[in-house]
Amino acid sequence: MSTRKLSLKDKYRILTRDLEWEYSYRDYREIFKQEAFEGIKITDWSKWEDPFRLTMDAYWKYQAEKEKKLYAIFDAFAQNNGQQNVTDARYVNAIKLFLTGVSPLEYQAYNGFAHVGRQFGGVGARVACQMQSLDELRHVQTQIHAMSHYNKFFDGFQDFTHMHDRVWYLSVPKSFFDDARSAGPFEFMVAIGFSFEYVLTNLLFVPFMSGAAYNGDMATVTFGFSAQSDEARHMTLGLEIIKFLLEQHPDNVPVVQRWINKWLWRGTRVLTLVAMMMDYMLPNKVMSWKESFEVYFEEAASALFKDLARYGIEMPRYAETAILEKEHVSHQAWSIFYNYTHAAAFHTWMPDDKEMDWLSEKYPDTFDKYYRARFEHWRELERAGERYYNPTLPMLCQTCQIPMGFTEMDNPTLTAYRQSVYQGERYNFCSDGCKDIFDHEPEKYVQAWLPVHQIFQGNCGGPDIEDVLGDYYRINLGVDNMDFHGSPDEARWNAWHNLQPAEDKLKQAS
Amino acid sequence: MTYQVTVEPTGDLVEVEEGQTILDACLRQGVWLPFACGHGTCGTCKVQVLEGDADVGDASPFALMDMERDEGKLLACCARPECDLVIEADIDVDPDFLGYPIEDFQATVASIEDLSPTIKGIRFELDHPIQFQAGQYINLHLPGVDGARAFSIANKPSENGIVELHVRRVPEGAGTGYIHEQLREGDTLPMSGPYGQFFVRKSAPEDLIFIAGGSGLSSPQSMVLDLLEQGDVRKITLLQGARNLSELYNRELFEQLAEEHQNFSYVPALDAPLEEDHWQGFSGYVHEAAISHFGGQFAGHKAYLCGPPPMIDAAITALMQGRLFERDIYMERFLTAADGAEGTVKSALFKKI
Repeated sequence: MSTRKLSLKDKYRILTRDLEWEYSYRDYREIFKQEAFEGIKITDWSKWEDPFRLTMDAYWKYQAEKEKKLYAIFDAFAQNNGQQNVTDARYVNAIKLFLTGVSPLEYQAYNGFAHVGRQFGGVGARVACQMQSLDELRHVQTQIHAMSHYNKFFDGFQDFTHMHDRVWYLSVPKSFFDDARSAGPFEFMVAIGFSFEYVLTNLLFVPFMSGAAYNGDMATVTFGFSAQSDEARHMTLGLEIIKFLLEQHPDNVPVVQRWINKWLWRGTRVLTLVAMMMDYMLPNKVMSWKESFEVYFEEAASALFKDLARYGIEMPRYAETAILEKEHVSHQAWSIFYNYTHAAAFHTWMPDDKEMDWLSEKYPDTFDKYYRARFEHWRELERAGERYYNPTLPMLCQTCQIPMGFTEMDNPTLTAYRQSVYQGERYNFCSDGCKDIFDHEPEKYVQAWLPVHQIFQGNCGGPDIEDVLGDYYRINLGVDNMDFHGSPDEARWNAWHNLQPAEDKLKQAS
Repeated sequence: MTYQVTVEPTGDLVEVEEGQTILDACLRQGVWLPFACGHGTCGTCKVQVLEGDADVGDASPFALMDMERDEGKLLACCARPECDLVIEADIDVDPDFLGYPIEDFQATVASIEDLSPTIKGIRFELDHPIQFQAGQYINLHLPGVDGARAFSIANKPSENGIVELHVRRVPEGAGTGYIHEQLREGDTLPMSGPYGQFFVRKSAPEDLIFIAGGSGLSSPQSMVLDLLEQGDVRKITLLQGARNLSELYNRELFEQLAEEHQNFSYVPALDAPLEEDHWQGFSGYVHEAAISHFGGQFAGHKAYLCGPPPMIDAAITALMQGRLFERDIYMERFLTAADGAEGTVKSALFKKI
């Protein structure tokens, strides 16, 4: 009889599940302490279906090959002075936002999956989570390497890990992941594995990667493709965890529904940063935020939730609000950042006439009606040499930590404002979604490290705001921050390309 | 121009149109392959080519690396065949699948019977015996009709010299129109089979539920007859849905079987009984009859569904709400040439549903 090659399934079983042993002298509940406290009931781990069958030996082989290809392109990009070939220097601010706001999340994901990869009683789930944690570590490394090249030529990249832990707007993505990692292992999986990696991942990655492709940034496109080739495993793991939880016990259904409501709302709030990046920071536009929200959220999620309905899962509670907000959030977020650019580690600017017209075309129901006049006013001020910077510190939402700049969807000129009182203290929220999340677990969210509160309490240096920005945030004042027009980034770019500074152009135009 | 793609290790056959991707053709024809992103960047749908050539399409160089291209790997979501293909996918062969070889037959019409006002029962005598698993189907080639038409076999496998089909007249359907109006006793037609992955998982210990709608009774009839003939002792429940009494065919056969076999129950359901039917049985859709019969609790069973897509859809929802999930549900959707054209976005949550 000829020796048969092991099937993929058998090979995977032997190299993963077969490594499990019987716990003979320790109690199961003692070994897997976190499995029960969230109210999730697991009756039979053997029903876990492996979402992918990649064994460690094949994993190293594949990943090594991917790295070879990726680093060859990084080298070529550097040797070609790729930084000079992007559409214009404004584009690089999207990459600053990615490095300071998103790449550290990959590191958080690595931590999170490594942690839950220890907590599950089922060996299949443990192996899958550990594998994903390795991927996430690879992603953060390749992203840092890709962007280190820009650090040599542009400002604002130098202290990204330090800034991620301290700077006000970076507390939005950071606190999102902190929230997930400090939850129980099953909530983490629904938050990150399912809601983020399956439902929302395309809304995060596709805009950045196609934005890079449309703006001549080959290095970023390439790490994007390299990371996406790992996302398959992450997406299938996200789906398996949700099916597994819903099938294990009917009592899990309401718990999972609450987590889906919470994490899809938390996720769409974080993606506000991507929304403004797409609509305002890309010199060559790919598609509008509204369009990508329709394709990657509304269409994809409606198919998914139609299937999940068979388990008794409903559309996430705040999806309707999120759908209405697609017309507004990018403009509102860009307004906030334009106001506070003196406190940011990247540059902002007002769109030019052509860009304003593009926004009018893409947002026929909202841009001209609610936003154009304000932006034109700010542009006039800038032309008059009085570029507007907001001198106050904004109030932040206790849950998502975004400044309270979102408006009511039935009256888009009225700031949305919600409050809760907990143990005699008043807390503020930007939305029903954020308020409900707080109200369910106030003891967790009262501990939020809100950057503005921390500044006022004197925990971020001072006494002046410049001390906070310079010493505590480590922003190079007058270099990393302020409007793009007049920035050293702009001056360098113009010198490379023998261009006239924008200021002079403005003067000539007026 | 279409190409035939054979998917190993199950041996499923898929027709791929010129310009169509392998994944699209597979999913539309009920052959599940693992997939996620659907546009060549994730690599979930990677398959190995065993025979033939295909255009790899827009596969990302990271999702399908050079060394894999050299080994003949493809991403099914963006690959298009350039000739007939044999591919190997990361799917499992069911241990209960017997894998009888597909053969060609000359099938002669022995009898044509009106089972109901819209359904005819056709018995063919074959030129040589057929081996098949109860639940599988054959392809029938009809004169003047393009392409083969698929019909489930209604007789039990031990009757291997004949093939019995139940054919509902599809309005304006060319194939079923020919059978209802032009086919005569004594006609001989080319037939091939058996095909399909719809069969009883006999190695599974669970009790069985069969839910049939319209001419979708054919497969469950074959399966039930086969199980009872072999003396299977598990509880077997057949739920049969029809519009009214005249459409409820073969009722006497199953009522008699229910009398003879303690472990077999028969539950007919009419969703639009006529007054003259004097219907005493369950009124409502067949999935509602199932909920009523089992008290809404289906855990611990294997369920087999056969019928038109809306019936299957409603039955899956009923079963899942009663805590029976994908791994325990098997189905054969009766699609007509008009079905399957809608290009709705599909989530990757379920494999077979």
